[in-house]
Amino acid sequence: MEDPNDTVQLSQSAATTNGSAQIIKLPLPSASGESSGLDLNLDPDSGQNQQKPTNPSINSATSGAAGGHIRTHTPLWYALYFPQLDELSEARQQKVLNLLAEIAESISSTVSFYPLALICEIRSSLKYFGDINVIHNKLEPLLTTQLQEQQLPEYFLYSASPSITGSLLLARSGHNALIYQKENLRSALSLLPTEVLQLHKEQNRRLYNMGVRYLRDIWRLPSDGLRKRFGSNFINQLNKALGKAPEPTRNYLPPPAFITSYDLPYELENLDRLLPVADELLAQLCDFLRRRDLSTSHLQFSLLHEKRNSTVIDMGLRQASRSREHIMLLLETHFTNLSIPAPVIALKIEIKKFDAFMSHSNSLLSEGKPTAHYNDNNLNKFMEQLRARLGDDHIKSISTAAEHCPEYASQQLNYEESIQSNQSNAPIVKNIRPFWLLPEPLLLNIRRGKLYHRKALTIINGPERIETYWWSGTDVCRDYYVAKEKNGSRLWIYREKQGERNWYLHGFFS
Amino acid sequence: MTIIRNALETPEPKPDKAFSHIDELLHDNPNLWRGCDMADQGFHGRSTGFSQLDDILPGRGWPNNGLMEVITPQWGMGELQLLIPLMRSIIEQRKWILWISPPYLLYAPALAQASISTDQVLVVKLDTSCKDALWSMEKALQTENCGLVLAWQNWLPGKVLRRLQLAAETGDTLGVLFKHHDSKHSPSPIRLKIKDSQSQQSSFSKAKISVIKARGNFRPLSTHIDLYQYN
Repeated sequence: MEDPNDTVQLSQSAATTNGSAQIIKLPLPSASGESSGLDLNLDPDSGQNQQKPTNPSINSATSGAAGGHIRTHTPLWYALYFPQLDELSEARQQKVLNLLAEIAESISSTVSFYPLALICEIRSSLKYFGDINVIHNKLEPLLTTQLQEQQLPEYFLYSASPSITGSLLLARSGHNALIYQKENLRSALSLLPTEVLQLHKEQNRRLYNMGVRYLRDIWRLPSDGLRKRFGSNFINQLNKALGKAPEPTRNYLPPPAFITSYDLPYELENLDRLLPVADELLAQLCDFLRRRDLSTSHLQFSLLHEKRNSTVIDMGLRQASRSREHIMLLLETHFTNLSIPAPVIALKIEIKKFDAFMSHSNSLLSEGKPTAHYNDNNLNKFMEQLRARLGDDHIKSISTAAEHCPEYASQQLNYEESIQSNQSNAPIVKNIRPFWLLPEPLLLNIRRGKLYHRKALTIINGPERIETYWWSGTDVCRDYYVAKEKNGSRLWIYREKQGERNWYLHGFFS
Repeated sequence: MTIIRNALETPEPKPDKAFSHIDELLHDNPNLWRGCDMADQGFHGRSTGFSQLDDILPGRGWPNNGLMEVITPQWGMGELQLLIPLMRSIIEQRKWILWISPPYLLYAPALAQASISTDQVLVVKLDTSCKDALWSMEKALQTENCGLVLAWQNWLPGKVLRRLQLAAETGDTLGVLFKHHDSKHSPSPIRLKIKDSQSQQSSFSKAKISVIKARGNFRPLSTHIDLYQYN
């Protein structure tokens, strides 16, 4: 007997075994009986075999469904339970679930996360796939390969029912059951042991002492008393499982992705001609970002050539942006320095990194003096332009370092590093230091007992003994002096205390 | 040059103090236009931190924007000492200082000693090509966040200098060019020359600063300054 109101065609096996049955066994994976470890002893009167469809209790429960007031749009929740994730850290759990959700997206538009489980709404996709078995067969190999890739045991438990919590409880019990009608939930759930509720130890103990072993034992108890003893969460969970309480979901949102390309009608050698095309693609890109309230901090432009590797421009932004003009300006700057090996036949743009959009705002009270205004828009634009044109190696930020050896007391950092390094400034030395330091100390001449650089030197200050790095092979032991050259410049010179005791020029006080 | 429109009162009898008194008198006279002093015409500079130098610069200090040339026979004559007070005031305004292809490594401890925060200092390295260096200088001058752009470039043609001057005016930024040789017809509004003053053998730390040209001055002036007073 087919249910007239049920739009979904039931699986063949279900229709033959029991005319009015809405509880159908899904095809069990061959290993699940042993591997899940969650197969629970059912009470003796229902028999050991959970696959037996002529279970008296189920039959009695399903008879009510024949009344036929079934809403066609009742959702059907397909729960996928992964008990093996329990051993992983929370972050890893989430990561694996995300990967699995990506797969589950192929069968359902609504995938939501639950502890160690994914729930997909499949009522809406049943019509397309035709049968829940088809869905299951499609999903299973994908999930197992993904679990294999993550080096996890490749089994999972599943079941489907009209309520989320119900599906979850059924899946946890290892029943792998399919229940189409809400009315049948109660009878199906009643067979489950109380462990599936995953209560606290204390609550479990109390239930056990009360003689409650299965959910059906709970149905028999007055709900007021239960609420008093076990709290409203407990009752809520049961109500949700029966479809009596609303169940909010947290849906999986696939990460945004943006790749677009344009095939040029003819080959282009002049990069300037490419700019209008790029502008058009950027308009799409910015539109995409605006719709999703996102911005980007890493873009990739690829210029495709025939029979050659494409030229790739990696564009990192200091501050995430979605301004078409800004990205266009940077692209133009990149183009000025770019030489292409062959004519361009297509242009591709890809967003590598998405960021939340932060609109620029001025503080109401400008008295508070920020330490450094990295967030300043103009400056960031300028920096990005500089970096695009000169490259990262040519633009440096400097900072002091807590070092005695003069060569190491000043650091050159890339701009990005300098933001991260948080400016741990070393204490300021008392003795005077020069503005310019020579990359390598320069040996000074001595003529007729006088030091010479370009002209004769006179020492006006010193010595300052710097002795360090004795623990390493290269000892530094120097006496530093301030000297004045005859033409007026001031030099920072030193004499080695060991070896040949040579004089060196090390810097200019400018 | 001064143009006197009204008859002056009789000058003071004392000849040695006469000049300063005349100066004061002239200053008080509103009917008098003084060609050498642009201060009354809304042209206010930033103090250089050296009072003697302020005295000989129009507007009593560095201009707020534009291009400035500092000419030294070689690097390391104290040209940076001259700019320390200026750099400090730029940092206080929370603007950035960009050093474009400095001849040697910029040494951070010295900046720290001169209380110039290194957070707001950026260096474009020496091995950058001249074209790129000039490009970044122009861009930096156009950006309002850069308060000061220091560049080491000899031999720039007048056309380039004019372009940089224009960029500096757009961004309200001061650009300083360090060079070895003076070019007479340079369009930069200010040209300074630093030389060691040989005459004063006893206090050899003084340097002679000559203002070869300054927009607003009518003749070259020079002064002697102890450049290392800030250290």
